[in-house]
Amino acid sequence: MPADVRERILEATFTCVARYGLAKTTVEDAAREARISRATVYRHFPGGREQLIAEVVAWEANRFFTRLADAVADAPSFALLLEDALLFAHRAIEQHEVLQKMLQTEPERMTTQLTVESERLLGLVQSFLEPYLVRASLRPGVASGDAASYVARMVLSHISSPGSWDLTDREQVRDLVRTEILAGILCDE
Amino acid sequence: MTLVDVPVRAAADPVVEAGPWAPGELRLVDAALRCIARWGVAKTTLDDIAREAGCSRATVYRLVPGGKDGLLDLVTRVEVERFFAGLADRLAAAPDLESLLAAGLAESARRIRDHSGLQYLLAHEPEAVVPHLAFSQLNAVLRRARTFAEPWLARWLPAPHAGRAAEWVTRLVLSYSACPAEGMDVADEESARRLVRTYVLPGLQPFLRTEQPIAST
Repeated sequence: MPADVRERILEATFTCVARYGLAKTTVEDAAREARISRATVYRHFPGGREQLIAEVVAWEANRFFTRLADAVADAPSFALLLEDALLFAHRAIEQHEVLQKMLQTEPERMTTQLTVESERLLGLVQSFLEPYLVRASLRPGVASGDAASYVARMVLSHISSPGSWDLTDREQVRDLVRTEILAGILCDE
Repeated sequence: MTLVDVPVRAAADPVVEAGPWAPGELRLVDAALRCIARWGVAKTTLDDIAREAGCSRATVYRLVPGGKDGLLDLVTRVEVERFFAGLADRLAAAPDLESLLAAGLAESARRIRDHSGLQYLLAHEPEAVVPHLAFSQLNAVLRRARTFAEPWLARWLPAPHAGRAAEWVTRLVLSYSACPAEGMDVADEESARRLVRTYVLPGLQPFLRTEQPIAST
């Protein structure tokens, strides 16, 4: 059995979710889409439908944050990295057709699945950010791990729900990063 | 006063919408909250609530139109109102901005943590709660928090910074309540104060009306 079967099943499940939604996608659908047997799907996902749905949400969330990390990796400073990340992630969420469709048609199921993932996603973003903070010069009394957790929370909260900030406007995003996110963390200069 | 003694008010009466609520309504709300803390929303029936409140189904319908949905809607409105009223009591005692923000953070987190109905739902029936705490629904929560907290913050911050600070603290309450950070309990006022002092006050610094007390030294 090739190693990428799992990946193929998840990809097929994602296609099915885009088509039928989270509630209506079955193991049968995913197997047909991936052109493999139901037994093979069950071998990789013994929990069946429920496991498949939970894992496809986690899988797409991981892909989302990988794309985000790639998009901002070359930023010349930490502040600019955060600006790019907020602009990119806000746009990517607005334009994520499957997510937006699920939020319209199955908001309970969609947000509940994402909430299950939220602690892990927070950890993911935090570990991505921490090396930058270890290298930065921090204000007295600020610990890099604690600050990475704070920044990750603020980023996740804003990309989910911008509130009164306009995250399509770079000027506003710059203000947001310099005041609410980094003012307490980085030394001036 | 028993439920039966509560006079029926016209549904169109604006006073009904604005609250405060009649004792009969509040008794139903509290009965519903006890049921929710025990079995959640989906399994609670109107009969359960009537029994818990010690009244008949007919009385429930008379006091709160709209059946179970109408009653749940009332429960939400009353609990939101109580949340902000309790918060206001706590904020009124704050002598400076740091204390105000720390009290707002800690008191909100404590009220979320100690709300047994809400905690039951988060543990067993998250789909009844979490859609309201993400994406566009969370924007509505942030707006509500801003409307509440803006007047409190206006003493220290001009617009739009007062409103932004209100949203900011709301984000911290929700994030640190949902995923607690290691070694920090945001419901504890000292932890909340540390968070405010470290991350929030420096970001507000450029916009402060300096003639007002900012922090205790």
